[in-house]
Amino acid sequence: MSSDALVTVSGLHKSFGDVEVLRGIDFEVRRGEVVAIIGPSGSGKTTMLRCVNLLERPSAGRIEVDGQVLCEQQADGSMSFSGKAEIRAIREHVGMVFQKFNLFPHFTAVENVIEAPMAVRGMSRQDANARAFELLESVGLAHKADSYPLQLSGGQQQRVAIARALAMDPGLMLFDEVTSSVDPELAGEILLVMKRLAQDGMTMLVVTHEMGFAAEVADRVLFIDHGVIVEEGPAKEVLGDPKRQRTRSFLRAVLERAPMVEDGMDDDGQ
Amino acid sequence: MDWDVVVESFPLIWKGASKTVSLFAWSLAAGTVLGLAVALMKLSSAKPLSWFATLFSWLFRGVPLLILLFYAFFALPEVGWLLSPFWAAVLGLSLWTAAYQAEAIRSGIIAVDHGQTEGSDALGMTRSHTMRRIIIPQSIRIMVPPFTSNATTLLKQTSLATLVTVPEMTLLTQRIFSNNFKFIEPIFVLAMIYLAMTTVLIIGQQIVERAFRLKT
Repeated sequence: MSSDALVTVSGLHKSFGDVEVLRGIDFEVRRGEVVAIIGPSGSGKTTMLRCVNLLERPSAGRIEVDGQVLCEQQADGSMSFSGKAEIRAIREHVGMVFQKFNLFPHFTAVENVIEAPMAVRGMSRQDANARAFELLESVGLAHKADSYPLQLSGGQQQRVAIARALAMDPGLMLFDEVTSSVDPELAGEILLVMKRLAQDGMTMLVVTHEMGFAAEVADRVLFIDHGVIVEEGPAKEVLGDPKRQRTRSFLRAVLERAPMVEDGMDDDGQ
Repeated sequence: MDWDVVVESFPLIWKGASKTVSLFAWSLAAGTVLGLAVALMKLSSAKPLSWFATLFSWLFRGVPLLILLFYAFFALPEVGWLLSPFWAAVLGLSLWTAAYQAEAIRSGIIAVDHGQTEGSDALGMTRSHTMRRIIIPQSIRIMVPPFTSNATTLLKQTSLATLVTVPEMTLLTQRIFSNNFKFIEPIFVLAMIYLAMTTVLIIGQQIVERAFRLKT
């Protein structure tokens, strides 16, 4: 394990009832690294991302973020989790952007951005507002500060959501298919903001179907299928010259909109 | 219908309007506060709290209101708790309406998209802050219609306080027709006053709904 790992996940399992969604996941994210997680629908990639800030509670495994152990397995096999306050403290430093934005619809854009800094950090309204305007400016939405979410396009809402997460000065950003519920022509403006964030050195874990973005921005790509990481490596290798049959079939399905080959067993029988 | 009798009975009945309105206002206020507590208990992950809340709704929605009023007025004094007719009626009405308000409030809270809680959680907000600033303000919009129907029902049910001797409008109406044996006019006046009062509530609902409409 390298010493500059910000996120270290090992032996991660997650079941919903009888359905085992994650079946033993190990990975780490180093500081300043952008890691893209790709994989077919239902592969477990979103669940895996949501485990990192414990929006999902793993059934087994160990997660460490910034030196804090969020959960681990005890000798008797039971799971132990950090207390509520420790989990909140971690979440303060881990920003998350959701597929469906999850903006607060009764607040304006700027109110969405200042709520957590004021409530969690105890920042004054004045300071929070000043910072919020900077952030809205940086995502190109200073002029929409007083608009309500439902008055904005999907692309604009998602950029407000990014500003809201950044307002807590996170050390890590989680992106969960953030372009999947906006019209295709608006995805670009979100991806541009994310690209700039990556260039500024933000550590990012990005679940995405945007292969172009992954190829251009991600340092590493994890391909996950049926709850396990099938292939991982530098973006160019995984996306440009995948080793596994399963990865090739998935990329073909995404890029050429061809149906995925289901009978093509992977090299290692996965 | 004899309009002279209508005109004569109106002021006599109207004298009870302030009692009707006080019964309604006290019971609605107490019942809503209690209903909010019961709703939060029912949603709580602490089992004893949610059991208590379930028991509360079950009991006070399951027993006739009149029996609650009889308990408060006739039975409590037997165990040494003597309430005036007015406060006995408020007690019975509050418990009864709280059980319904709890359901209205709970349904409003669970109707708010779960993504709102996740959005707040991911920002490190506490549960109580999320409830107060994010969930409850959004649930109000959803709970206004059931809240108003509970309020309208409560207003009409204050008429049962007659049976525990509260001198509200219905009791005063009964006094009129037991004196002069004219039924049509006093009962008509009484019905019209109740109708006017519930109309105010329904107009209030429309104003509140407009105020809480999400800006699009």
